[in-house]
This record gives sequence, C-alpha cells and structure tokens, in this order.
Amino acid sequence: MLSIKNLHASVEEKNIIKGLNLDIKPGEVHAIMGPNGAGKSTLGYVLSGRDGYEVSEGEATLNGKDLLDLEVEERAREGLFLAFQYPVEIPGVSNMEFMKESVNAMREERGEEPLTAAEFLKKAKAACKQVQLPLDFLKRGVNEGFSGGEKKRNEIMQMILLEPKLCILDESDSGLDVDALQVVADGVNSQRSSERSFIVVTHYQRLLDYIKPDFVHILADGKIVKSGDASLALEVEKNGYAFLGKEYEGEEA
Amino acid sequence: MSQWLNEVIDSASDVNDFLAPARQAALADLKNEGWPARRNESWRFTPLTPIEKRAAVAATTATNAEIPAIDNLDAIDLVFVDGVLATELSTIDVPEGMTITSLSTSDTAAQASITGMFGSVKPVRHLFGRVNDALSTQGVYIDVSTDTKVEKPVRIINIATQNVDAHTRVLVNVQPNASAVIIEQGVGSVDSLTTAFAEYHIADDAHLEHYRFAMVTGNAKQLGGSHFKLHNRSTLNSTVVGYGSELSRLDVDIHHAGEFADAKMNAIYLLAEGELFDLHSTIEHAMPNGTTEENARGIVGDKARAVFNGRIHIHRDAQKTLAELNNRNLLLSRRGVINTKPELEIYADDVKCAHGATVAEIEEEALYYLLTRGVSRSKALVMLNFGFIQELINDVPNEAIKTWLLPVLSERFRQMEVK
Repeated sequence: MLSIKNLHASVEEKNIIKGLNLDIKPGEVHAIMGPNGAGKSTLGYVLSGRDGYEVSEGEATLNGKDLLDLEVEERAREGLFLAFQYPVEIPGVSNMEFMKESVNAMREERGEEPLTAAEFLKKAKAACKQVQLPLDFLKRGVNEGFSGGEKKRNEIMQMILLEPKLCILDESDSGLDVDALQVVADGVNSQRSSERSFIVVTHYQRLLDYIKPDFVHILADGKIVKSGDASLALEVEKNGYAFLGKEYEGEEA
Repeated sequence: MSQWLNEVIDSASDVNDFLAPARQAALADLKNEGWPARRNESWRFTPLTPIEKRAAVAATTATNAEIPAIDNLDAIDLVFVDGVLATELSTIDVPEGMTITSLSTSDTAAQASITGMFGSVKPVRHLFGRVNDALSTQGVYIDVSTDTKVEKPVRIINIATQNVDAHTRVLVNVQPNASAVIIEQGVGSVDSLTTAFAEYHIADDAHLEHYRFAMVTGNAKQLGGSHFKLHNRSTLNSTVVGYGSELSRLDVDIHHAGEFADAKMNAIYLLAEGELFDLHSTIEHAMPNGTTEENARGIVGDKARAVFNGRIHIHRDAQKTLAELNNRNLLLSRRGVINTKPELEIYADDVKCAHGATVAEIEEEALYYLLTRGVSRSKALVMLNFGFIQELINDVPNEAIKTWLLPVLSERFRQMEVK
C-alpha cells in the first residue's frame, strides 16, 4: 500500500523528517506516536503534498505510484486522505457543495458517473448520521463555527464519503471528550477493511484503546526510532519517552 | 497636442446638426483644454498613450456583425456597428407608451426633446465625454411616458468590428411613475475606439432597471459613461460588468436631484492578462432623504490593472442621506495592480455614510484543504474566490441575465491565471 524509504523533508529550510522508513500493507493500522516536534504532523503534510514542505531525499509510493511526483489533488484521487488536526474554516463554501465536488472528482478518477444531487444527499446523510453530525451541518460553510469536536467528526464524515485507500488521521483525538472520542473511533472502525490502511498519528495512548493498531511506531527527531505492537503504546503511556534518551525526558507521553 | 485630438477637433468642426450649440461648446472646451497632462489626476492610473497618436477614423462601410446572444432574453435590440446605428428603427415593435428616436431625426418636436436632455445629466467630466458631445451624431433617444411600465428590456449594443472611432449617445427619459429596463452592452476586441455615453432622467416616482456590460477586450478601447439623475421617490437598480482591454474606462454618476430617491448599484469586474479597467463612480446627494448602496467587486489576475475611484459627495442640504460604497478586490497575481481610492465629501451633519475598500489574496490554507479532498485546482479557486462575485450575480433582478452571466463570468474566472 504505502512505502516510504529514507524520506528527508524540510520546512523553511529546517530539516524535520530525517530518513524515515515505513511500510504499510493493505488493511493494516499503524499508530505513530512521539514527542512534540518529532515531525508527526509534518509527515502527513509531506505525503499530501502541502506547499512549502520540500522533500530533499528518499521516496514515497502509494500502490506503486510515486506520490512525490503528484499534485495535491492527484494524491487525493489516488486514495490518500488526510484528516487534519486543525481543519480550516471556509465560510462561503458549503460543506455540501464541497463534498459533492470531492466525491465526484474521486468517481471521475475511477471512471464512474458523477452522483446526482439526490444520490449524493442520501450518502451524505448516512455519513453524517454515522458520526452524529446534525444534517444542517451539510448546508453550513465548511467547518464554519464548528466546535473542535464537530470539526473532527466532519473530517471523519468526509473520510467515509470519499472511501480512500490510505487514511492519515492527524491527532483526530485531540480536544475530544470520551463520548466524542468514541464517535470518532466508531467512524474510523466502521471503515476498516482488508483493502484500506490507516496511519493514526496521536500523542496519547487513549485513542488506541478505541482504534486498535497492528503496529506502533515511535517517531523522534524525524526518524522512526522504535516499532512494536500495541503494547509499545502502553509502555510509552506508562514510562514516557525516557527511553529515547536525556533530551526527551520530561516530555509528557 | 495629440494627433488624435487634432483630428477629432477637425472633424467636429464639420458637424452641423440641430445639437450645434451643445457641440460647439464641447468643441471650444476641447480646443482650450487640449490633451490631458501626464499628471492629470483623472488619468493618473490610466495612461492615454494607446490613443494619443492614434489616427481618428470614422466608419465609412457598414459591416455585418453578430449580435452577442443572451439566452432567453426577450429584448428590443438596438445595434450600433462601428458607431453606426444598424437597426432600422421603423421596423421595431415598440411597446405602447415608449418611443425610440434616432439622434438623426428630422422631427422638430423630437429634436426639441433631445436638445433639452442632451448634456443635462452627464457632467462635463473629461476629454472623452466632450469628444462624445461633439461627435455623437449616432445615438438614440428613448422616452417612456407617464405611468407607463415597460417590462421588455431595451438593449443597446455597441459592436466594434474594425479599426475605426465610434461615438454613440443614449438619452433615456423615464417620465413620472413610469418604469423601464435598459441594457447597454459593448463588445469587440479589434483595435478600435468607442466612446459611449448614456444619460438617464428618472422622473418623480419612476423606476429604472439598468445594466451596463462593458465587455470589450483586447485592443478595443472604450471610454464611456452611464449617468443618472434621480428625482423625487425614484428608484434605480443598476448592474455593471466590466472586462478589461488595452484601455477601458467607465464613469458612473448617480445624482440625487430629488428627495427620497433610492439607488442601488452592483459592479463586477474580472480582468485578465494585461487588461485595464477603470471605474470612476460619483454619487451626488444634493437633496435630503436619499439612499445609495453601491458594491463594486473585482478579481484581477496576471498583469492586469483595476482602477476604482469611488466618490461620495453629500451636499449641505442633503440631510438624512444614507450612502454606502464598498469596493472589494481579489488579487490573483503578484504582478496585478489594484488602485482603489475613496473620496468622501460630506457637508451635511445628519447622514449615514460608509465607505470601504479591501484587497485580498488567495488563501493558501483553504486552497490546500480543498485540494486534499481531490477537488481540482481550478474548481477549488472558483469555490473559494468566486462567491463574492456570485453574490452580486445572484442579486441581478432579471432572470435571463442572471442565468447568462453566471457561467460566462465563472468561465472567464476559471481561465484567469493564478501566479
């Protein structure tokens, strides 16, 4: 599914990702944890192709296609989905208009006919229901005036509608209470399949109680320094990042 | 002195029709004032070099031109091709209570009405208005009699097809308690020069729905104006759409000459490549209790330049005036230029007056967000940045025009380059 080899990337000439390797097979869920500033969010931005994130070395392929060679929208159409930590508010563009355009762009890529307004509405309503967003959120401006939790649920709603192959969830748990966390996790779990893979970026082990990862990686200083199964997350929860060495001591897990 | 102006003065001396007194006065002004100096405030951002050394040529051959279509618009079309009225007025089915007369009429009663109105609304603003005063033998006078409501729009079209100078004039007299819908449209892209000025008398309790589509592009140079005088309790709803060309300037005047008049104007401009569009708007509140709401919104791409000069003048007696003028711009390129200048002169103390101008750039973060969902770049740009233009399109009172404008303008926007 996703193969990252020796990836180096910088933002404003500051090296953030420094030789990252990661291999994800279809159906797998990989959690990435790590201290602040390790490059967790940067990885999502680099893979999605955000402006200003320069790759200086290495490669990243999605189902054999060179991701780094593609435009942002082309990567999305190849099946890459990034759920943002801080989704941007776009007043003046309705959630509905935006999602209809997105869904039909994906369908066009797959050689399918665009959905009619009625067909789309049916799907959108179902997706909203799944993440417990009131239907009038479809008519509102994208993320406009949404609470933190509503924004996160709106991201998962989009993920459900777009049916991506690889989902990167960037701290989708931050700022959520237990109930909201459950809703987000349920939404994610409903999308798990043998064809779809996930990268779950999180600061806290808590989310991984709800979304069970197959692998856990610790990202520190732009590299994966330790990998293991779900028990690694519990270890971090208990002991923090002390094992990384002196400079990370005191970082909350 | 400019070669072009010299030739204009020569040809104006030969014009001898029933409007001679007005034309002579204009000619005298042209001779006295000559070509505007480079520092002239009125042309500060709009250089006149494309005209200065031009040869002034009038059309000698009438050519056929394709009339720009507006689907489902049932209008009376009055077509000027290269400055010559190509529509045979006698063949037109004019609604009852409305008369349409050519400025070359020999009817003395009509001549008297035209003489009375010619120059009574349009202020003596600049050189090209004066050139039009002196040379506009081609034009129409439209009269809507008292209490007559004419729903069928009259569309006056200026088409530039060859390298000539065209000078056309429109005079519209909407009499008390009457109403009319008038569309002025300019099209063409060939090297040419058009001056097209229109004057509107909107009498007591009368209503005018007005459109000006200044859509010339390329090397077609256009200088024109739409000037309105509003009398007691009259209303005006005007929509202006401007494209840019080598040189395109439009002057709009809204003059409240009566009390309780209500004027609304929305202006849209979309400029691409190296185009220039200059909109000078002047709102005069001479009498109390008038309202004006004007929204001018534009998008400027590539190396284009937009000039917006928005003046509000509230006279001492114009108490209880409500005047709002807002200019919003989106700049798509680092090389594009927007010169927006507010001018407020308020002499009455009990008024509400607002004036705002903004220039925004593309919001990169929002654009990135839409792209990560697979939306194409051009569609994302339209979604993010066309909304403030679309709002004004949605405001268009005529359904056929609204339906026509939306795809035309969004397509033009889609083709503008973001740099």
